[in-house]
Amino acid sequence: MASGGESVRVHYQEELEQLEARALDGLDLVVAALDRTVEAVQHQDIELAQVVVADDDVIDGRYLEIHQAILTLLATQAPVATDLRLIAALLHVMKNIERMGDQCVNIAKLIPIAGREPPADERMLKNLVTMGHGVRAETRQAKRAFAERDVAMARDLVRQDDVIDNLNRECFQLALEIGDDHDRREWAMTMLLVARALERTGDNAVDVGEQVAFVVTGLFREFEDASHPDEPVLPQSSP
Amino acid sequence: MTAEFDPRSARAQVAIAGAKGVTAEVLSTQPRKDVIRNTIFASLLFLAIAIALAGLCVLVGKNLVDGWSRLNLDLITQNNSSNPAEAGLRNAIIGTLWIMLFVIGMLVPLGVGAAVFLEEYGNRNSRLIRLIEVNIQNLAGVPSIIYGLLGLAFIARAPLNLGYVVLTAAMTLTLLVLPVVILASREAIRAVPASIREGSLALGATKWQTIRRQVLPASIPGIATGVILAISRAIGETAPLIPLGAATFVTFTPGPFTDFTAMPVTIFNWVKQPQPEFQALAAAGVLLLIALLVVMNSFAIWLRNRYEQTW
Amino acid sequence: MSNQVTQEERRTEQRQTGFAGDGAGAARPAIEVRAEFQHGAGCGSGEKVFELQDISVFYAGVPAVRDISMDVFRHEVTALIGPSGCGKSTLIRCLNRMNDLIPTAAVEGHLLYHGEDLYGPKVDPIQVRKLIGMVFQKPNPFPKSIYDNIAFGPRVLGMDGDMDEIVERALRSAALWDEVKDRLDANAYSMSGGQQQRLCIARCIAVSPDVILMDEPCSALDPISTGKIEDLMAELKQEFSIVIVTHNMQQAARVSDRTAFLMVELDADETHRWGRIVEYDETEKIFTNPSDQRTEDYVTGKVG
Repeated sequence: MASGGESVRVHYQEELEQLEARALDGLDLVVAALDRTVEAVQHQDIELAQVVVADDDVIDGRYLEIHQAILTLLATQAPVATDLRLIAALLHVMKNIERMGDQCVNIAKLIPIAGREPPADERMLKNLVTMGHGVRAETRQAKRAFAERDVAMARDLVRQDDVIDNLNRECFQLALEIGDDHDRREWAMTMLLVARALERTGDNAVDVGEQVAFVVTGLFREFEDASHPDEPVLPQSSP
Repeated sequence: MTAEFDPRSARAQVAIAGAKGVTAEVLSTQPRKDVIRNTIFASLLFLAIAIALAGLCVLVGKNLVDGWSRLNLDLITQNNSSNPAEAGLRNAIIGTLWIMLFVIGMLVPLGVGAAVFLEEYGNRNSRLIRLIEVNIQNLAGVPSIIYGLLGLAFIARAPLNLGYVVLTAAMTLTLLVLPVVILASREAIRAVPASIREGSLALGATKWQTIRRQVLPASIPGIATGVILAISRAIGETAPLIPLGAATFVTFTPGPFTDFTAMPVTIFNWVKQPQPEFQALAAAGVLLLIALLVVMNSFAIWLRNRYEQTW
Repeated sequence: MSNQVTQEERRTEQRQTGFAGDGAGAARPAIEVRAEFQHGAGCGSGEKVFELQDISVFYAGVPAVRDISMDVFRHEVTALIGPSGCGKSTLIRCLNRMNDLIPTAAVEGHLLYHGEDLYGPKVDPIQVRKLIGMVFQKPNPFPKSIYDNIAFGPRVLGMDGDMDEIVERALRSAALWDEVKDRLDANAYSMSGGQQQRLCIARCIAVSPDVILMDEPCSALDPISTGKIEDLMAELKQEFSIVIVTHNMQQAARVSDRTAFLMVELDADETHRWGRIVEYDETEKIFTNPSDQRTEDYVTGKVG
């Protein structure tokens, strides 16, 4: 970052870098949770679901740790400009991570409700697994985009998330189809909730991407705005 | 036996005590050669001041012994006369006072004015200014008899043609001590920090307003001290007054435009007389002069301490 | 950073496409951080106090600052920041012609004060300083009483009015009245450093200037006094316009409406150094999203 002249505040720079690394590692924790969650859904594995629920404490702990570290940094180092935007963005990102973890917990809690019988609809299950893997990829990409400050990569998350949204809608349709079948519809409704949770997790990953744009440009714009669907998103011209 | 360090054991106690003792010793002893050097140095300095004080004591002591008999009010109330019993310093004192009055009147405006010009309006890099500065310092070292001859040549005689009067003596003495006042005033003015001047100018005051209302009032103690020291030097000057007619044997009360005499000259005259009574008178006069000088210098010091400005 | 150019492009495009409303009624409104500042609308009235056009200052031919162009606005606090030796003090001393006191100083360029050339042939620097006052880095009260310190300015300037009233008003404006009202004839040096500096501010205010220049006014003071003076600046700018030089960036961020960042430039063979403006913008922008990478490096403290 230094342009000519010796670098000062080395300790502060290191602190900032470490803080960012620790925060972004939270996304890795989310990926791990997602992996376990998807597998638990796939194999109706209640024990694994319990592990997911228990491990959410780690994510929550990381959230608190980063939150405290940010407060300390604000108080002691008075960051400005890009550093300030970074810190604000990391606060948002940590919240997103925490929510993503909570969504995994939500999913995990739904699995026992679904019961131990084999899945009622293979197609729905396949969608869910695809969604799970998609969200996992989104999360990893979000982390990379943030670490590399790559706005184009962050914007691409919108496209990926559209896929997840479509799959969610498909699941809804599938559930409707099952609707009249008494034996299967309970399972279907539960799986619909799972789909919803996965879709929300994907939205959180997109939010992380928006923070990347904020850090780089200083402007906070929604990538997609539901109230202005025709409004152009951030300029399509890539850097 | 345990390998651990037990602070209560005898060995430990001895070790601790030894360590403490060494610390105390290291802290308190001074190497022998430092002690010797310090002592020698202090002694030499003491010797220096002792010699100076000794000289002063001898001076005062001898005059005290010689002039004791004449240290009474007659010294001040009687005019000079050829009869030693009736002789006093009255007219000499009045002559000196007249001279000093005029000296102060001329010294302050000339000295302060020159100092203000050099400090405030002079461009430090100008050759003319530097020439003036160097010459002022030279003038301070010129023997006083030269000033006497200067006064004789140009003031007593043509072109000023004032004659051998108090005013002539005053002007001559002014010239003599002017460099002292200029230097002291410059120091005092220079001691006023630039921040005060800047602060005044930044408010929209003119340069003259700044000098008159900030710089000069702040330098008055320094200037006053310089003036008093200059005068106390001038009071004791004998040599320049002699060519100007102060050696005349005056027995009446002098005025500004009459023949006159001054204290140091009268004392000088008495010393020249053969009679021992006059010697006693001279000694008494010297003591009076010294007392006067001590008072004036003490006042100067008091003034400086009282009004010393800490910025 | 290759994002440099694209930040600018992006910002321009943002402005061209507009922004999605201020959020009233919208579910998730787009937040355009720079919205209300888009067209340079500032915090003050928009009237210019100083216009500097290519100002360069030379000491005996050696440049100290070069090609400074900026506008200072009314009822704003404008801060000059930058590393040491970048000429901030030199620049601020041009504004009230204090550089005239240095015989080797020469000023080139145009400095307009309310449209008039401050260095015009008919302009008297004394009159300039009546309108543009200055507070210095080290408090410099006169060796007089508190009362006489304040009264000095009005007296020498021949101001009419009841002197007691003028003194009281000045001391109140400087938030010093309550502390000294019972000892107005005490020597000014009996006050603490912070009080002395406020006395200097009161002294400056007493002559009713238009602009107050402050050259690192708090650098010799403790944090509490600094805080008091910073609070004072916020009040004073309602009546005066303030330009402040500070080497404390956080102070510039706290008190100023606009900030100019100066940097040292070296010539080809590194023999001479002078200052230049790198960026001059609203403070909020300088400290949240500066346009120039050098500004970014300086305010984040990564380069000294």
